Amino acid sequence: MTALLDRPARTAAADLTLRRGAARVLLDNWTGSGTVPSRTLYPHQWSWDSAFIAIGLRHLSARRAQRELESLLAAQWADGRVPHIVFNSAVPNGAYFPSPDFWRSSTAGHPAGAPASLETSGIVQPPVHALAAWLVHQADPAESRRRGFLSRVFPHLTAWHAYLLGARDLGGSGLAAIVHPWEPGMDNSPCWDGPLSRISPIDTGSFRRADLDHGHPADRPTDLDYGRYVRLAADYRDASYDDRAARHAFALEDPCFNALLTVSEHALADIAAELGADPAPHRARAERLTETLVARLWDEEAGAFLARDLVSDELVRERSVAGLAPLLVPGLPASIVDRLVGTLDGPGFHADATALVPSYDLTGPAFDRTRYWRGPAWFNTAWLIERGLRTHGRHAHADRIRASLLETAGGSGFAEYVDPTTGEGRGARSFSWTAALTLDLLHTDDRTEAGR
Amino acid sequence: MLKTAAQEQLLPGESLQEKWEFAQEAGYDAVELRAKGDLHFASRLPELKQALKDGVVMPTVCVEMLHFFGAFDEELRRDAIKQMKSQLTVIGEIGGLGAQTPASYGMFSRRLPPFEPPRSEAEDREVLLSGLAELGEHAAREGVTLYLEPLNRYEDHMVNRLEQAAELIKEVGLDSVKIGIDSYHMNIEESDPAAAIIAHAPYIGHAQVSDSNRFQPGAGHLDWQAWLGALHTIGYEGYLAAECRLTGDPVEAVRSVPAFLKGSGA
Repeated sequence: MTALLDRPARTAAADLTLRRGAARVLLDNWTGSGTVPSRTLYPHQWSWDSAFIAIGLRHLSARRAQRELESLLAAQWADGRVPHIVFNSAVPNGAYFPSPDFWRSSTAGHPAGAPASLETSGIVQPPVHALAAWLVHQADPAESRRRGFLSRVFPHLTAWHAYLLGARDLGGSGLAAIVHPWEPGMDNSPCWDGPLSRISPIDTGSFRRADLDHGHPADRPTDLDYGRYVRLAADYRDASYDDRAARHAFALEDPCFNALLTVSEHALADIAAELGADPAPHRARAERLTETLVARLWDEEAGAFLARDLVSDELVRERSVAGLAPLLVPGLPASIVDRLVGTLDGPGFHADATALVPSYDLTGPAFDRTRYWRGPAWFNTAWLIERGLRTHGRHAHADRIRASLLETAGGSGFAEYVDPTTGEGRGARSFSWTAALTLDLLHTDDRTEAGR
Repeated sequence: MLKTAAQEQLLPGESLQEKWEFAQEAGYDAVELRAKGDLHFASRLPELKQALKDGVVMPTVCVEMLHFFGAFDEELRRDAIKQMKSQLTVIGEIGGLGAQTPASYGMFSRRLPPFEPPRSEAEDREVLLSGLAELGEHAAREGVTLYLEPLNRYEDHMVNRLEQAAELIKEVGLDSVKIGIDSYHMNIEESDPAAAIIAHAPYIGHAQVSDSNRFQPGAGHLDWQAWLGALHTIGYEGYLAAECRLTGDPVEAVRSVPAFLKGSGA
């Protein structure tokens, strides 16, 4: 196989074809007020998908990108949580599991302030939204100001962060906790295997998975995992989604989730400044988050950040891409940046077939090259790492990821994820965030990106 | 960057040459001609040929009559077809690409009294297919294209959406008939204008632009980035021809269009 650097540079014609292909996916997956991640596998609006989609959509239509975030935030609960799924009422319940009749947000979530007029899930996903809002604004500040975009989303975003750092600070440390494996967005990561083993699964005969209608069983989480996911979600629902009342049998501090909260807090500072508000409290919170992230989750021996299990109060000794994502955080100690870059280049995360970063340690005991978040390389995490490398001036390394992302996205028909051992696409095709982040990297010149 | 054109009546100046000078300064790439009835367009041939010699770029012509090839009245229909054939011949003679026409305009609307047209849908369809076939064959002989323009429901009762135009064109089966899309009408009729462009990409031959309120692009609330992004996505290489009313100072309004479209991703 030819090494990445020996391959010919991308041509303008190839970029044009790629841009058209990516735009087509986003135009096809647009529903009028938001974008579905995939027409087949994921027919509703997902929280962190929408944020990544908006980051690319801003290059196609600033207005659609703004609408994407606005429609998601319109489903925010009164307690500040932004639900991980906003259900499209026109899609039948059987098209996705767990469906609205499982979550029952408008009734079970009523005490926590779930909207009465639409159905959502009751859990959350990583807070990429303030970062996305700031990037969307920057793509077309005139249109953003004309529509009052930032002034409308700002209160939603601050309430969202207040929820995460308030009700969700389950460890009392100043970091946000996740209470379900779907919350960090990396559903079946081996990082959750230990904490999940304590959970008794619901009988898998009591529900019907819809993900296997379109996804290959070898690529998807197992039935046993699903039984546990459903148990956790049902318990949370039965506690009316009240974070104080719920007995969280699964509670962890995830490094990627908190790194995204940190950069989004920086984005809130930028947004506040743009709106003439005081950025200082947001900047201070971002700095505090950075310090706490390092103090609580950095593991020198692993050369990566690790998730902290709040039930046992121990670090989970599994390395995943979530532990490298804090590279995104500005102001990280230089020694940690060096170690993270070393880990990226080491045998655990350097794949010969692709410069996209595997979701789990290639040398780890649970590595599975095709199963969702247990090995496959994803485009959104590659985008985060690429951005992180640039944040710390590692442009040559970032260039390799960018080139690989563009090549793999186009070559795979905008696949959901990639087998890191072969570089082949897996999962859904015409996947929205893959197309969106392709569009974003096509629009950002890699040579002038230091200040991005 | 997509090329832009302005319809001739929008441009200040007495002659096509003067209008072209203004158009170029404003950043347009071409002038779209307008063709009146009574073979008036053919009578302009010497003027058009001189303009061509003087370097005026005139790729397309848009009909400016009050009866069309979908008219209820047989005599008017025959005349419209005669006029359109002549317009196709003339635009071919000056090296242009094609001529645009709706099925009808101002003849009937199902949204206004008396709500039920005097002709059945099946008869409408027969008239449209036969007119498109006759005009399409003529266009093919002249080496140009007939652009069928869907109009909004208040202006025409037969062809309102790209889907309807594409279906007729598919049935006619001639490459010399394409859709001439118009952003203003699409904004009223299409649930997602950008998606409609993607869905009917192979049939789109020409594009006219005006904003949500029929004024010049930039004066209304269309999502131009999405609309133009869709045209880029399908690899559209034709013109964006401004066919609009003007609000504000008319000269400044016309002048603003190319820069606005460019800033919106054209």
